[in-house]
Amino acid sequence: MQEFLQHTLNGLSVGSIYALLALGYTMVYGILGMINFAHSEIYMMGAFGTFYLSKWFHLGTPSLLNFTIGLLGGMIFAAVIGFLVEKLAYKPLRDSPKMNVLITAIGVSILFQFGGQIIFGADPKSFPTLIEDKNLFSLFDSPIHLTDLLIYFVSFASLGILSFIIFKTQTGRAMRAVSTRPDMTPLMGINNNKIISMTFIIGSALAGIAAVLVSIKYPKIDPMMGVRIGMASFVAAVFGGIGSLHGAVIGGFLLGLGETYLIGYGASTYKDAFSFVILIIVLLYKPTGLFGTTRKEKI
Amino acid sequence: MKKYIIFLVLVAGLGVVLNSFLNSYIQAIFISFIINAIMALSLNFITGLADQFSLGHAGLMALGAYTSAVINKEFLGDQWMFIPVGVLAGACIAGVAGYLVSLPSFRLKGDYLAIVTLGFAEIVRVVILNWSHVGGARGYNGIRKFPDFLLSYGFAVLLLFITFMVMHRLKVSWFGRNLWAINEDDIAAEVMGLEIAKTKRYAFTISSFFAGLGGGFYAHHLGYISPGSFGFIVSVQILIITVLGGLGSLSGSIIAAALLTFLPEALRSVQSGGLDLRMIIYPILLILMMILRPKGLFGRREVYEWLPARLKTKWGIKQ
Repeated sequence: MQEFLQHTLNGLSVGSIYALLALGYTMVYGILGMINFAHSEIYMMGAFGTFYLSKWFHLGTPSLLNFTIGLLGGMIFAAVIGFLVEKLAYKPLRDSPKMNVLITAIGVSILFQFGGQIIFGADPKSFPTLIEDKNLFSLFDSPIHLTDLLIYFVSFASLGILSFIIFKTQTGRAMRAVSTRPDMTPLMGINNNKIISMTFIIGSALAGIAAVLVSIKYPKIDPMMGVRIGMASFVAAVFGGIGSLHGAVIGGFLLGLGETYLIGYGASTYKDAFSFVILIIVLLYKPTGLFGTTRKEKI
Repeated sequence: MKKYIIFLVLVAGLGVVLNSFLNSYIQAIFISFIINAIMALSLNFITGLADQFSLGHAGLMALGAYTSAVINKEFLGDQWMFIPVGVLAGACIAGVAGYLVSLPSFRLKGDYLAIVTLGFAEIVRVVILNWSHVGGARGYNGIRKFPDFLLSYGFAVLLLFITFMVMHRLKVSWFGRNLWAINEDDIAAEVMGLEIAKTKRYAFTISSFFAGLGGGFYAHHLGYISPGSFGFIVSVQILIITVLGGLGSLSGSIIAAALLTFLPEALRSVQSGGLDLRMIIYPILLILMMILRPKGLFGRREVYEWLPARLKTKWGIKQ
């Protein structure tokens, strides 16, 4: 029982990270219909943004203030990178076939991975301790760490803010409109390019938050850190039904829990393949994912 | 008949020149050019002709390579004469795997093949990593090679020739027309009575078969394979070759494979330190090409389509 609870708590923290990243994938897919392969690299850049920020401004001492500054820094840095990637690489291809955009996304992803290895160095760097980890209290003999609590708290807060933006504000309404009928929205006075930029900024900011949270828990960062987690989160997005926000969150949590149980009860070497096995099963039996819908095509 | 004799003489001449005047380094690069060309052709068949994005050709290649190596060593007595048998078996296994992969991939419209193949390549890699009988992470050693360069060269050229001819005949056949129809407008193709999912499945199976062929030969060319030789980056390299040559242009793939195999080797001397600048140049090339010339070098057209009409009739090339 105690072991199970421990795995569940770990799974929830992994799952909330997956959920944050899966939202970025699903939002871009919903609005542009493309898989943003560079999203995992935006996540990586978020971690490095905070790393350099804390290095230059000497945020090495653990405190809540430094944590907040680091989190905001990573968020803003990732958002800027996401914005630039969209403007420079994807926007020129707005009207070209989908295949070309996908190939560009792969190119951007590889460029960040290997450019990062040249600029930051390929060896892992140790992330500064922005906040000290300690055992707060025990729940049925399983210790609750401060970092885990922070991960739950920050990710739930971000999810709340996101759903407020999407469902309650004018921008969010415009985003939903663009993802439904991009050809009609300009007639309603919506600037599609601005909304697409906004989507990238929000999605990337979520990736930045996820990056800082993960780096605080596992303080080793390197330019390839986004690859595995990016794939898993993408699978989470497909699992939940790509294009659906609720689906991404629930898919993220289910995948995180499943993966942690798999590692906890043996078979840890197959961890990397687990998410893809799930993916194939989902595509075979429920190709739209849990919450996805297919649109009837009209000519 | 005459043109085939000329072709054979040219190929044999090139082989003799490579064998007697150039060192083994250049010979090895030439063989890897042929492997790259086979892989690019294979990817071109599904990505260029059928407009379905595959990111897992490295996984199919790994399947072909490991099957071929294991069959040759364990069942065929480790003889070089039986290398072609092993390679063929590897190709068949890859083809079967390709068919299985295609089952969940085409149930919905969209880029699901890209995701499923990506996952498939990862699963293959993880399984090989955990399979100690074939060396696991250490790799599989001591695979039988051809004893002589000319044999290796002849077999490589034969494989490339078969791959190119099969794909070319398919491209100009009714099957190629079907693929083209799907590529242009899949709704219209469906309305005309074409079974889209089935056609795509066949196309991906054929593509996988040739990817396995390339992989099988790769194993016997190097004599050593490891899960690291079939990472995601290999799939991307194949993709770059295909895109550079032009999606849908088979001869373009071969030319691009030559360019992207020989040029980096020629530029090896200007590289500084341990930085692999190729992995910076490739993605920049890819992004710039998508923005400036999305068709690649040749688009859908074959190189010989630019020949004068007189030569085309003389050589019996159909318009």
